[in-house]
Amino acid sequence: MKGIVGLLLILAVLVMIPALDLAFAAGQEPGEYVDRRVIIWNLFFRMMTVAFTVGAVVAGTMIWLVWRFRESHPKAKPTAYEGTDW
Amino acid sequence: MSGHSNYPEWIYVAVVIALMAWVGAEAWEAERLVEHIPEGAEVIKVTAQQWFWTFEHEDGTKEIGELHVEVGKAYKFEIRSKDVIHSFNIHDYVVLMDAVPGRVNTVWFAPDAVGIHDIQCREYCGLIHYNMRGTLYVEDPSS
Repeated sequence: MKGIVGLLLILAVLVMIPALDLAFAAGQEPGEYVDRRVIIWNLFFRMMTVAFTVGAVVAGTMIWLVWRFRESHPKAKPTAYEGTDW
Repeated sequence: MSGHSNYPEWIYVAVVIALMAWVGAEAWEAERLVEHIPEGAEVIKVTAQQWFWTFEHEDGTKEIGELHVEVGKAYKFEIRSKDVIHSFNIHDYVVLMDAVPGRVNTVWFAPDAVGIHDIQCREYCGLIHYNMRGTLYVEDPSS
């Protein structure tokens, strides 16, 4: 387990580094001529893509959980605390 | 429970952390790009009061209810309020910034096409808030 936690920690740090890099690179240097509309709407569309993808995965997982672990599933096994007389 | 593996849960936690970091980085980068004012941007002092807008250019020219700017040039708005909280909005250029009494808020934009656009107050500021409008004229430098 320690190995997994370590690995995940390293992965998290690797993801964080570019984010922090971008943030701290933003000093007082003059900005570029950018189109606010493009940047803001692009961000919105990307965030919506993430939101819908995550939503679909979470909803799908919950549907699968309910379907797979229902009592009437052919492969259902009673847990220890439910007893075995069924 | 013995024999229970929480390996998938750690994967889930890692995915959530990674997603949040990525979303944060994207938003941070967009904010950085949008907030950094280009060099040489002309400062326009925007004053909000019930229920109209006043604009003052760098050369001292004042305009009330309408604003004339040149296409392709960057402008930095310094937004003030004389009474209550207003919000300066040029909808077509996604410019939106609150005008708060006692504060100077800044926002910048660079119009990229000649045209006429609406300026409006986006924070309810009293009886005639609905009509606290202005007009933005984006003009060719030669005209």
